[in-house]
Amino acid sequence: MQTILVVDDELGAIEVVATALEDEGFRVLSAANGRHGLEKLTEGQVDLAVIDFMMPLVDGAALGQEMKAHPVYKNIPIIMMSAVGESVVRERFDGYTAFLRKPFRISALIDTVRRVLA
Amino acid sequence: MTKPDEPVPSLARLSSGISGLDDILRGGFLEGGVYILQGSPGAGKTVLANEICFRHAANGGRAAYITLLAEMHTRLLQHLRPMAFFDESVIPKSLYYVSAFNILEGDGLKGLIDVLRREIKGQKADLLVVDGLVAAQESAPSDREFKKFINELQAHASVSGCTVLLLTSGLLRHVSAEHTMVDGVFELEDQLFEFRSERSLIVRKFRGSGFLRGRHSFRITDEGVKFFPRVEAVFASASQADVLSDVKISVGVAGIDKMLLGGLPAATTTGLIGPSGIGKTTLGLHFLSQASAEEPGLLFGFFETPARLCLKARHLGLEVGKAVDRGHVELLWQPQRENVLDELAHRLIDAVRRRKVKRLFIDGLGGFLESATSPQRVSRFFSCLTNELRALGATTIFTMEVPEITGPVSRVPSSGVSALLENLVFLRFVERGSILNRLISVHKVRDSGHDPSLREFYITDHGLQVGEAFAGVEGVTTGVAREPASAAAGTPPAVPNT
Repeated sequence: MQTILVVDDELGAIEVVATALEDEGFRVLSAANGRHGLEKLTEGQVDLAVIDFMMPLVDGAALGQEMKAHPVYKNIPIIMMSAVGESVVRERFDGYTAFLRKPFRISALIDTVRRVLA
Repeated sequence: MTKPDEPVPSLARLSSGISGLDDILRGGFLEGGVYILQGSPGAGKTVLANEICFRHAANGGRAAYITLLAEMHTRLLQHLRPMAFFDESVIPKSLYYVSAFNILEGDGLKGLIDVLRREIKGQKADLLVVDGLVAAQESAPSDREFKKFINELQAHASVSGCTVLLLTSGLLRHVSAEHTMVDGVFELEDQLFEFRSERSLIVRKFRGSGFLRGRHSFRITDEGVKFFPRVEAVFASASQADVLSDVKISVGVAGIDKMLLGGLPAATTTGLIGPSGIGKTTLGLHFLSQASAEEPGLLFGFFETPARLCLKARHLGLEVGKAVDRGHVELLWQPQRENVLDELAHRLIDAVRRRKVKRLFIDGLGGFLESATSPQRVSRFFSCLTNELRALGATTIFTMEVPEITGPVSRVPSSGVSALLENLVFLRFVERGSILNRLISVHKVRDSGHDPSLREFYITDHGLQVGEAFAGVEGVTTGVAREPASAAAGTPPAVPNT
């Protein structure tokens, strides 16, 4: 079973995304900000990270940069999500594999996850 | 160390960037202050706070918007997107949105204060909005802990110079500890008046600054939030001294100027009272046809569109359209929808100031009265409004419609208002011999004599013309003129006192 880390400061967003991914047969770890996300990465192998861009304490761009700089986590593909446009996100961090503009349909999420993990 | 005789530096202000709000706050929030913005759901707190953030970012500031509610800010941004102030390019560089709901759930107030402190520092924010204070209060183990949280937040805000807005629904106790601790409390309301509703703001407290007390209306449109400081508060004293002069202003009809012994006294207000169709607007168009570069004119009307007014004037031989083209006259039409009384007044005053209007024709008083949700305000409102118009040097004519087409005027429209007007002119229909005649009479003129006779007037292709005194009859004010009994008996009629 593949494991996906979902990091988002919005509880509702985490619940919706995690439930949809679990329904698709994935194991989901969740965290409410970048700092918790980094902690979660230590709990076992993660195959994909779905990360929100704007979060308190450590934001999505900072989390992404830390992951890409880490010898163990640097190969984990990242799907970045944000309510702001991709060009704004790309200015801060461009090491992600796919981008999802919020709000998005669950089908778009699932399609993107399957494409990135293929 | 500050010496005892050194002046204490005044507290710097943070502009709200919102039209009218800084006027109410006498310049804006005080930097580093903590303010509660409260109101029931739908009162406008979120839109207002977001617009303040976007305006702040547009002016080079940095803001952080932190929600403690379970709702998603993705949705919030979607709702804000159609509004004129929304500018995605400032997110996240100058305006940062995060949710601290999870942190509050997991780590309580201690975790929350840590996030707020880090966001102020990390985002270099000089404006912080915390949406959902009630969630923080509910998660507090005791009132004492909640007070401690507010106190710590104040300390961080003060040392960092970050102004904090705490948004909360009206669920907090009316007077609670946080109200006494914070620097200001602003209450937003959305009140229902029969079928219509009106939004308003009351500043309950604003430490370290004067402010306009009482209730102030505001409106939310796609353009954003716009406040209309209550006329009685903002114009309690006229913005400039009233300049008295003996100058008379022509109304544009020679016969009426003669009745007024030269015209209307400059910078006074005149009530033009009469029924529908008598010629009030026609007289106003004459008044405006005399506008010039030196005496700019303004028609502030509720009933007829500018195009119709220009056509009407042309049929009367008056070149109001050309005066509009030359910039001597402006026609401002206020469609009769659910207008806000103070909004109308500010629009009027702004238009008068913008063009230094000297000839103002307001058609008519009814448009203002229908917008008043509190009738008890009307007299005081008009007193302050007309004082300001006088101070601005505008000679103003208000039309005031009476319900009776003919017959005695049973009720002067809004008698409290007519008492405030220096000059009163009546227009009326009078039947004589199965013909409806138009009559004009001057009832009072400030510091001036006038012709007291009732005179007939006519509306022709060449405009309004005044005829002779309506003499030799009686019962004119009943609406039906008749020969005096003495004349019927063969006695010559009395000579009228003109």
